[in-house]
Amino acid sequence: MRAGVFGAIVLVTALTTPPAAYGQTYLVVIAGLGGEPGYRELFHEMGSSLVGAARERYAVPPENVFFFAERSERDAAITGRSTKANVESALIRIATSIEPQARLFVVLIGHGSAQGGTPRFNLPGPDMTASDFAALLARFPTQQIVFANLTSASGGFLAALSGPRRTVITATRSGTERNETLFGGHFVAALVDEGADADKDERVSVLEAFEYARREVIRAYDRENRLRTEHALLDDNGDGVGSHEPDPQRGDGAVARTQFLVATRPGMTATATDDPALAALYAERLELNRDIAALRLRKTDMAPDAYERELERLLLALARANRAIRDRESGAP
Amino acid sequence: MTTVRRTVLLMVAAAFAAPCAWGADQDPLADARSAYVASRYDDAITAYRRLTRSAPTSAEAARGLARALAETGRYDDAIAEAARYERRNPTVPHVANLHGELLAHRGRLDEAERQFRRALDGGAFDSLVARLNLLLLQQRRGDVPSAMQGFDRFIDIYNRNRNLSSAEIAAVATAVRQLGSRNPQLFQDALRAYDEAITTDGNNLDAQILVGDLFLEKYEGTEAREAFEAILARAPNHPRALLGLARTRRFAGSSEAMDHVNRALDVNPNLVAARVFRASLYAEAEQYEEAAREIERALEVDPGSLDALALLAAVRHLQGDRSAYETLRQRLLALNPRFAGMYVVLAEVSARNRLYQEAVRFAQEGVALDSTAWRAFALLGINQLRVGRMDRGRANLETAFAGDPYDLWTKNTLDLLDTLERYDLVETPRFRVAIDRKESALLALYVNDLAEEAYDRLAGRYGYRPDPPVRIEVYPSHADFSVRSVGLVGLGALGVSFGPVIAMDSPSARERGAFNWGSTLWHEIAHTFHLGLSSGRVPRWFTEGLAVFEERRARPGWGDGIDPGFLIAYRNGTLLPVSRLNDGFTRPTYPEQIGHSYYQASLVCELIERDHGVAAFTRMLRAYRDGQTTGQVFRSVLAIDLDTFDAVFDRYLRDRFAQPLDALKAAAPLGEGAGGGRHTPENLGRRAADPTDFVAQLAMGQMLVERGNPRGAITYLERAKELFPEYAGVSSPYWHLARAYTAMGDSARAVSELRVLTSLNGGHLEALLALAAHLDAHGDRAGVIEALDKAMYVYPLDVTAHRRLAELSEAVGEWPRAVRERRALLALDPVDRADALFRLAHAYFGARDLDQARTWVLRALEIAPNFGEAQDLLLEIHDARQAR
Repeated sequence: MRAGVFGAIVLVTALTTPPAAYGQTYLVVIAGLGGEPGYRELFHEMGSSLVGAARERYAVPPENVFFFAERSERDAAITGRSTKANVESALIRIATSIEPQARLFVVLIGHGSAQGGTPRFNLPGPDMTASDFAALLARFPTQQIVFANLTSASGGFLAALSGPRRTVITATRSGTERNETLFGGHFVAALVDEGADADKDERVSVLEAFEYARREVIRAYDRENRLRTEHALLDDNGDGVGSHEPDPQRGDGAVARTQFLVATRPGMTATATDDPALAALYAERLELNRDIAALRLRKTDMAPDAYERELERLLLALARANRAIRDRESGAP
Repeated sequence: MTTVRRTVLLMVAAAFAAPCAWGADQDPLADARSAYVASRYDDAITAYRRLTRSAPTSAEAARGLARALAETGRYDDAIAEAARYERRNPTVPHVANLHGELLAHRGRLDEAERQFRRALDGGAFDSLVARLNLLLLQQRRGDVPSAMQGFDRFIDIYNRNRNLSSAEIAAVATAVRQLGSRNPQLFQDALRAYDEAITTDGNNLDAQILVGDLFLEKYEGTEAREAFEAILARAPNHPRALLGLARTRRFAGSSEAMDHVNRALDVNPNLVAARVFRASLYAEAEQYEEAAREIERALEVDPGSLDALALLAAVRHLQGDRSAYETLRQRLLALNPRFAGMYVVLAEVSARNRLYQEAVRFAQEGVALDSTAWRAFALLGINQLRVGRMDRGRANLETAFAGDPYDLWTKNTLDLLDTLERYDLVETPRFRVAIDRKESALLALYVNDLAEEAYDRLAGRYGYRPDPPVRIEVYPSHADFSVRSVGLVGLGALGVSFGPVIAMDSPSARERGAFNWGSTLWHEIAHTFHLGLSSGRVPRWFTEGLAVFEERRARPGWGDGIDPGFLIAYRNGTLLPVSRLNDGFTRPTYPEQIGHSYYQASLVCELIERDHGVAAFTRMLRAYRDGQTTGQVFRSVLAIDLDTFDAVFDRYLRDRFAQPLDALKAAAPLGEGAGGGRHTPENLGRRAADPTDFVAQLAMGQMLVERGNPRGAITYLERAKELFPEYAGVSSPYWHLARAYTAMGDSARAVSELRVLTSLNGGHLEALLALAAHLDAHGDRAGVIEALDKAMYVYPLDVTAHRRLAELSEAVGEWPRAVRERRALLALDPVDRADALFRLAHAYFGARDLDQARTWVLRALEIAPNFGEAQDLLLEIHDARQAR
């Protein structure tokens, strides 16, 4: 049921609302100190696959993608070594040139700690604290920010970075969950691979990626009969309190569902065309999506049979419209 | 049973504790007393006897001598000593109470009562204890209301008097303890009073015995054990402490119980409670004649022992001797017309022997007799749950818990019932399956069909159909399953059948692939048939052996297989003969014995089938139902006596396993070198030079595989396989050969090994998955489907396996299986739910179930309306429905 409600809301917001200004996307991925070869390799792989997907799958301009890793020499895609100075320098530079409507994604991969109660991200050289990042993010006063700390003991970052226009994700709920996390790998996989696009709108929202990773973590721990030592959180309503199971209707999740790691709005939301027939089909599709979303909101007030019949009627119409759009777009007779 | 046991112990406690409070500074007594406290009873008897001669007026000397004699079971000598003192000192009342207690030990209750009154009326120093003993006698005879009034006065006595002796405080504690049946809070007060008695006199070991007893009665096994062990540290031969320790060991399910009670009876062969306890152990092992003999010996000491008579009645009932049972029942009711304890014993013994319906009936009699018999209410509730009467069972457990909130079994079971509210109840034609909501959608896909299949096949074989519905409960928490089975956590089993109710671990309750749940379910359903056919009278060994035998007939590779440990046990002579095979289940003497007994019992059944045909099983079960013993069943059905059968079975084993027995002749345990140390390449190489040594061949081969030399391992592993081809355990030659061939890139040979392995051991999850992977690479779709399908009965929680099985089933057009697998994937709560719904719709469409296909594709599109593939399918389904 939760998935169903979630899907409806995505539709309402993503498909029935005319496209708003959707500025450029910037991505900063920081793979921290590995500590040992296995982790070093793992963190590099995670970061590398994420920036690769951003550049290729999501068409984020290469100049908007920054990748800092422990060993900068091993990969041409790496912007520089993941030192505090390099990270600060990059974020300050982005802040000076980013347009007001743009989105900034910051993803931390590696180990974290909460020594002395101060949440830290372990880097070669000095660590970066949540306060360090808070000061840097303050340089982005109008932009949408997605900050994902995928490290262990990352929970303390959430309250420090929470705020308006910000989606903050941590892999753990506190600084005391110090074991290696599985969440980060699944979160990256959600953005890189197929499978997290729950509503089949051909893109993965931050909320979808979070849900995917959260549930895969649960599945992994259940499979091994282990007690969970990580509980990821998401906060996007600025109250500084994270949700382990975000519910866009009641609290966190409403912003995250509209955030996508893409350069522009693609896929099902296309509306602009010079072909009048195609434009009419786009309009029909938009209208049908609106009707379906509206129908779903009335579901609990309707008799099940009546609801299903009406749903089928609308879905058949939508299916035919989409088929016609595909044919028209591909030039089929 | 409990009430009487308390009575006897109290009498002993009071008698033995009191003298310590007075005359402690008299030197001549010191040695005697310390010998007694240290449980050096012969020394104590000698010393006290000397004192009675030198000081014939000393009551303490006479009491000490009588007590020491009594501890060694010489009750008549003790009574004679007491009588002699009283003849010499007719106006002194201080030995009268002890005299009465000794007489009570011999069942001479009227004489005992006169002595208690004499002590009370004469103002003996232990008159308060005598007053208590009179009340306990009243209670024993069934006048509970009057006794309770009397016990209640002890509270006032305690509150008014601050100078009570240790024995008197213990008497107060015991009186308060009796009141606990009306007000359970008073058990805490009783415990505090016992503690005060012990603080007042550290030598009052009897108060400590009563503390241990109270702990055990309230399911505090650890505390009880500590109490008894503390006594035994000071008095290692204390018979009642040894008995207490034995009882704690039984509470913990340990076979040490018999050892400890044997020691108790070595010291005091007339300790009635120990005789009764030992008899109960025999009864649990279904050795009814031994149990009866033990009780007869107890009754020789105390012909009126309610515990002994109740247990004897239970044994006669189990033996099907209605006449003897009824005579004993009437005798008990004549002794105590309100003795609900008799029915508690009958219910407990019946339940322990799988006669759950009868346990219900007896418990009902108990609560009808005494509305405060909380244990009877608890037994009634628990056994009603076992036969599927859930609502009534719960109500009676609530009653039991209100009366005795310390009953851990009741509390655990009520807690469990609360969790059962989270379970879905799925109905099939013959079963009602309760599965935790979080996994019911998945497991029901497999459980329901398998259970129905088992019912049909077993009904065909046995010509018997258990009344439906049979209830199956599947627990994702092993602790919950354990509570359902025995009331406590810690049960090692995977499943249990009460007949109309089966409980078992869910595959999620154990480590991945830890057990073959499908095989386990089949096993338990087989028990339901055996219990029904025999009216619950089938012995444990036979129903277990037959159930394993049925597993083997259900699917290739199901049911326990042979392993080297079993054959080594056989070779070493540690396997039990059929006549004592039950002991292997109920009183194992080494850790692997239960497993060995299962396998051995299954081989016995194989032999019976070979020589007498499968129809013999039904005849045997009916013969057990009619009350025949195993010996009688073998004679009447198989026309063979047990000794002869044992000899035939021995030959069968030797012939069947001649080759591996020969190859295990010099075997040290696997994983250890010949000298007991870890294997090294050198010592293993030397040992493996003997090509007939199975263990060495296998260990050498395994070591080489693990050290990256698969080619070198092949020779050893092939030889091991040849020496013991039936062995298909987790670390069998087949498995290591498959690993070696896989490492060498020889997939065809790996497949060959894995095929044999999985045909012998259908629970080897890793082998099944490896076989599927190899066959998938070869494009053998049917083979992959077969392997993955088997894997579902071991571990159905693997998304990858379900997905592949679904895909291949679709590819070959096996749509019903595809539907099942797509439903399984959906039940596993996929992140991509819309996709899972769409694929389920697609499978239904393949199976030409257009209505289901429509339903599920609409659900997919409800989540993701622009899901292209689902839209196309919706249009196809729509067209197909229009066309029909």
